[in-house]
Amino acid sequence: MNQRENFFAMIEGKKPEFIPNIMEVYKICIGGADRADQPTIGGVDVFGVNWILTKEGEMPEPNKFMFEDIADWKDYVKFPDVDTLGIEEAAKMELAGVNRDEVIINVYSPSGLFERLAAFMGFENTLCSLVEDPDSCREFFEAFADYKIACMNRFIDAYQPDVITYLDDLATANGLFMSPKVYREVIKPAHRRIIEAVTSRGVVFCQHTCGKCGKIVEDYVEMGAKIWSSAQISNDLEAIMEKYQGQLIVEGGWDSSGPASYIGASTEEVVAETIRCARQYGKYGNFILFPTLLNENGNSLFVGDSRLGPMIGAWHQVDKL
Amino acid sequence: MSKIQDVKELVETGKSKMIGLAVQEALDAGGQPAEILQAMVDSMSVVGDKFSAGDIFVPEMLIAAKAMSKGVDVIRPLMAGDTSASLGTCVIGTVAGDLHDIGKNLVSMMIESAGFTMVDLGVDVPAARFVEAAKENEKVTLIACSGLLTTTMPALKEAVQTIKASGLTGCKVIVGGAPVTPEFAAEIGADGYAADAGSAAVKAKELVR
Repeated sequence: MNQRENFFAMIEGKKPEFIPNIMEVYKICIGGADRADQPTIGGVDVFGVNWILTKEGEMPEPNKFMFEDIADWKDYVKFPDVDTLGIEEAAKMELAGVNRDEVIINVYSPSGLFERLAAFMGFENTLCSLVEDPDSCREFFEAFADYKIACMNRFIDAYQPDVITYLDDLATANGLFMSPKVYREVIKPAHRRIIEAVTSRGVVFCQHTCGKCGKIVEDYVEMGAKIWSSAQISNDLEAIMEKYQGQLIVEGGWDSSGPASYIGASTEEVVAETIRCARQYGKYGNFILFPTLLNENGNSLFVGDSRLGPMIGAWHQVDKL
Repeated sequence: MSKIQDVKELVETGKSKMIGLAVQEALDAGGQPAEILQAMVDSMSVVGDKFSAGDIFVPEMLIAAKAMSKGVDVIRPLMAGDTSASLGTCVIGTVAGDLHDIGKNLVSMMIESAGFTMVDLGVDVPAARFVEAAKENEKVTLIACSGLLTTTMPALKEAVQTIKASGLTGCKVIVGGAPVTPEFAAEIGADGYAADAGSAAVKAKELVR
């Protein structure tokens, strides 16, 4: 099997021939998100939020909020016309020269419901609003879901992707930001609509949530997500892989707070962490390695790194299944 | 039920719109400002413990801190000059090269709720700035340094070592953040470490007493 055939065997719940890593299985596309969600090199987005580029990615400019009371959101949030974003042009540029028979086209859709509200009104205000004014939050999330769904449909038309990865970080290394009950009552209804909009068009939905979010992984699965990405070791990954055999691929496994992710980590440390992931998680079959490797210039996967070669080499050498 | 008990419950349940009236009623019933403040500090201690135990989540902790802040607004004018309940000043910031303020802000709220006066230096704070702020402000008993990124752990080390080498006396250094472990905190010379905002408040009190 090539990467593509092997990936779809996993999606169908079959035993793969090999365990993939994200560097080899995906063509990750971010051009649509650059226009619809957040500019990849920082700057002001289509909603007026200013993004600051850091070595680990982008973040809304700290302490600069569009509004502070969720009840006021309609006075400030103006949804852009999806026709004007240039998603088709971005797709043509990103897909030039890509062999669709070999790799999986994975379109990223960052700034999910929670993250987008936090980008507008700040993290503390957002979290307080979830419990103090859940009705206004729900109203915002439903409206923003309409925008995301329009974007997803445009991504699907333009890219013909195999996977859409929707990013919404809902947890810290210690646990969920909000209780599962609050997530289910306030965020999940709109989240469900976004997932169904993607899966109803035959595209695999990948949910990206960093941190210890294991308590709502069952919700992701129930709504139709087939991949949970950036699955971090603060969760019991082996139990989750075992529980959701044939239903969910766990993409992650890397100790993103450990020595192999420190600036200046040696090649030996990176290789050792790669081998640990291969040996510990590969045997379950429903696993894709997603390393977090950083250097002085940023995320190694995007800026390049001399340690990537030995990492991939070590990954291939370990008998995983 | 006493009016002070009402205040405690309103802090614990984060009822910021009702707390002002309740504090005023407690004062009108003869409660002393320091006694009411201590009741609110005790409530926040309960909130911090529940958060650390996973019984409540960040939103519930935030609205409790917000409620306490509103309650303090009512008694502050009555306590001008009375520093008996204060644990001193805490200088807090996210270290150089790191723009993340979420964890730092949560810790700041909880340490303030424990009885400290906060001086928040914001994000991307050079090591020397922590020392300057400690010298510029009165009765600094604690410096709290936050770092979210593995890439800024060296900056966390530099901050702690700069503070320790500065000759400042009478203040302790506490560190925290996602990649920070108790071992790392000890290795870089910090006096204390906390895994979350609730335990940061507990550790802060422990360090300055």
